[in-house]
Amino acid sequence: MTHEEVSSMGTAAKLVTVTINGKKYGADEDEILLSVAVREKIAIPHLCYEASLDPYGACRLCMVEVVRHGKREMVTSCTTRVTDGLEVVTDGPEVVKHRSILFELYLAEAPKSEVIKAMAARYGVTKTRFLKKIDTTDSLGNKCILCGLCVRACNELMGAGAIGFVNRGPYTVVNTPYFEASRDCLGCGACVKVCPTNAVEMEDQKNERIMKSWSNTRVPLAQCDCCGRYYAPKALAATILARVTPSLKEEIARCCPECRGKLIAKKEILAKTGGAR
Amino acid sequence: MKIKSVTDLVAKKKVGLQKILPGKPRIAVGLATCGIAVGGDRVYERLKEIIDKDRLDITLTKVGCIGYCKEEPLVNITIPGKPLVILHKVDESDAEEIIRSVQNGGVPYDRALCQVPAWDHVTGCVMDYGKGFDRIPLYDNIPFFQHQKKVILRDAGLINPEDIDEYIAIGGYFSAIKALTGMDPDSIIEEVEKSGLRGRGGAGFPTGLKWRITRDVKADKKYIICNADEGDPGAYMNRNEMESDPHMLIEGMIIGAFAMGAAEGLIYIRAEYPLAIKRLTLAIEQAREYGLLGKDIFSTGFLFDIRIATGAGAFVCGESTALVASIEGRTGRPHPRPPRLTDIGGGLFGYPTDLNNVETWCNIPVIISNGSGWYATIGARGNTGTKVFSLVGKVDRVGLVEVPLGTTLSTIVSDIGNGGANNRKVKAVQTGGPSGGCIPFRLFDTPVDFESLNKAGSIMGSGGIVVMDEDTDMVDIARYFINFATGESCGKCVPCREGLKHALLLLNRIMAKKGTKQDLETLALLSDTIVATSLCGLGQTAPNPVLTTLAYFRDEYDALVKP
Amino acid sequence: MDEKTLDIIISRYEAPAGRLLGIMGEIQNQEGYIPRETLEILSVKLEVPLSQLYGLATFYSFFSLKPVGDHVITVCMGTACHVKGAVKILKALEEMLGIKSEASEDGKFSITTEDKKFTLEIARCFGACSMAPVLRVDGNLYGYATPENLPGILAEYGWERHEN
Repeated sequence: MTHEEVSSMGTAAKLVTVTINGKKYGADEDEILLSVAVREKIAIPHLCYEASLDPYGACRLCMVEVVRHGKREMVTSCTTRVTDGLEVVTDGPEVVKHRSILFELYLAEAPKSEVIKAMAARYGVTKTRFLKKIDTTDSLGNKCILCGLCVRACNELMGAGAIGFVNRGPYTVVNTPYFEASRDCLGCGACVKVCPTNAVEMEDQKNERIMKSWSNTRVPLAQCDCCGRYYAPKALAATILARVTPSLKEEIARCCPECRGKLIAKKEILAKTGGAR
Repeated sequence: MKIKSVTDLVAKKKVGLQKILPGKPRIAVGLATCGIAVGGDRVYERLKEIIDKDRLDITLTKVGCIGYCKEEPLVNITIPGKPLVILHKVDESDAEEIIRSVQNGGVPYDRALCQVPAWDHVTGCVMDYGKGFDRIPLYDNIPFFQHQKKVILRDAGLINPEDIDEYIAIGGYFSAIKALTGMDPDSIIEEVEKSGLRGRGGAGFPTGLKWRITRDVKADKKYIICNADEGDPGAYMNRNEMESDPHMLIEGMIIGAFAMGAAEGLIYIRAEYPLAIKRLTLAIEQAREYGLLGKDIFSTGFLFDIRIATGAGAFVCGESTALVASIEGRTGRPHPRPPRLTDIGGGLFGYPTDLNNVETWCNIPVIISNGSGWYATIGARGNTGTKVFSLVGKVDRVGLVEVPLGTTLSTIVSDIGNGGANNRKVKAVQTGGPSGGCIPFRLFDTPVDFESLNKAGSIMGSGGIVVMDEDTDMVDIARYFINFATGESCGKCVPCREGLKHALLLLNRIMAKKGTKQDLETLALLSDTIVATSLCGLGQTAPNPVLTTLAYFRDEYDALVKP
Repeated sequence: MDEKTLDIIISRYEAPAGRLLGIMGEIQNQEGYIPRETLEILSVKLEVPLSQLYGLATFYSFFSLKPVGDHVITVCMGTACHVKGAVKILKALEEMLGIKSEASEDGKFSITTEDKKFTLEIARCFGACSMAPVLRVDGNLYGYATPENLPGILAEYGWERHEN
């Protein structure tokens, strides 16, 4: 049974002790090792981990060594669940050796990413022996490392399915079908938010949001009836409002969240004061 | 008619035997994919034309392939009371001569490869053909066959794979009825455990243990899957097993489903095998017609059916989690384990799932019919049973070879394969496909078992053995495999997606004589990292061809690079 | 592909297992490629995001998004074929068809001649290793290929040598 299932059943998770780099830490049994490390501020580099999504294990940077039966074994900390007495070494020579090569591969794959450069530098890697991939037509500005977070956020969190992986192997890219503007994009911008290398770009231009990285998909923005500003993508606002029960009155629904708050407050005051103007 | 009892099955057996030994001459043409490609179908058509025209009292039928690919097209002739004779290198111009000889109670001697007076189909049926034709050498004396032991290929090339009756004739489905009506699931699993059978897809995981784990999981629904995504280039034994004896696979799956408590089975087969798909589809239909699949099999109340799911060209889909993703209609990108397929939430549509290779399933009927004790005497300790290998490349006698595990490479390559083709010296073999490695000639006393091949830096894989001779450039071979793996990488994790690409770039540079010693070092370091950090088996093993050639043929690399 | 044909194909796949790849495989087999409109209609009919179907079409090498020529020539690049000269076969075919292979942007190897008569592709392995090197033209396998016997094989499909 997973940690989530235990928690959702209301049973308190069993507390266990794990040893990381010689120091003992408390954790919930079956908690993801990387989340323990993040909480305890133990530096383990990672790019594809997101607490709200299932473990994915693609970036391979979070590999650490766990000691099992006296033997050290390399595992990804984002897919390892802690058990009592687990012993972890985050910076053993094997890990450092392989991680350095992985950083070199990332530097070659996303040569324009400042995030990658800074992260690699923190672990002592400042240059790469591998040929840098420079593609002037890349809509992700040579910053994408294919961690898949944008694809998963779009599909699993938003249910939009606007973008996906295209091709396979070293030819893999993320984009919309046929590299044309997507009809499914809500313009929510979750992809921009989750991108660890700031590769995904969007821009709001007056009444439109332009998803620059996704084949310049244009999403109309909704205008607030009260203040007149464009506050959110129409499709997204509709999706969210459809989930609200009881549904909002038409006049309130057509306002931006800020004006909506003001409007509701005003109505309440009006109601309490008996409607006197 | 539904088969409900042993009596029903015995009745069908008689019908089938009548087809194999019809009391008149029978001519059977080897028509697996390769037999067809080299002209077997034309031979068949020509024979049919002659027989039809003169309304001759001769049975003409199709069989699968006995495995001696070099000698194809192959044709078998049975004349009542005489040994079965295998003709080789037959073409359509031989058809008239064949018919004429058969009508006179003989065979065309100049086309005869060997004779089989009696054949043991292992599953309780020894076919006594007869004696005679003394001028034709015995099957047992043919060097290609002499060192082989046919357990999995026991029927291949001798029965019609498109006729369920012929499979029943040689003892087929008797294991299924024995298991379902005479054994309980635990004792079946115990038999498989005691047999020592290990997964034939390459990893060698104990099959019985996998079955037990699947059985022990409590779930509303379970699946069993046959991995027929034979993706290793140079390996085609699974294709032949399905094309030549599809019911053997179905019978194995019925027994497994009963033991593990699964009602649904799937065969995931690559789209590149249209004939295997056709024959399996037909075999499944015939089995349903006989009540061997569907509801209430053998009146036991047990329900089980099999469906075929086709792949679409992705080597990575041989990996278990990618295979399941592919069946579910997703791209074949592996996910980290656990959860394993056998876990709740880890298998097909989240249900516990047992996945075994074609040949693993094919081993089940004989284990049940002959017992684990019998099975465990074949092969070596910890590596029981036989394994079918495809012996190809620059070897003289190419073909499918079945030997007990533990047989040495030298027996396979030199004795069975007769060494290099065109009298060239053999330099190495490559086993295990893109995940395997190259083993040099000096290590040919290595027994072919899971552990010994690992020790030599390679793996068993699904059983492809590609022979390289003195003209083969080993750096080119390494480059070939890295190119293959790069193209087949799913692209999910960085060491495989990017690492292999850069390994390929390095190898290209080295082969263009522009590389340096430094490049060789980088290649070795990069290979280690790909092995250590890749998400799935594809990446973890993809550098093996580089690592083994670097270890055994370093001089060939050194000759290409600048100091 | 007309909608009726597509409906018939879809109706053959009731169970979810193997459904998407099975349907797409049949479209590929019937049309020689997967037309964009068909994929878009399929997305609506099955309620599967187009991005997922497009992902499948570009991930699996069996699928093609471009129309192919009248005859598809596929050269096996399996290990046995490789050691027995598959590269030479491929080069000879390129020369005969007057086309040049280059890595495409999607990583798939498929080139069609200008007159749309032939498409040249590669395959990982046909599993017909005993008669390496092997090629397939439309549905037919040819073993023991040599640069010398290629003209004879292609002539069966209407190939003629153009003198340049």
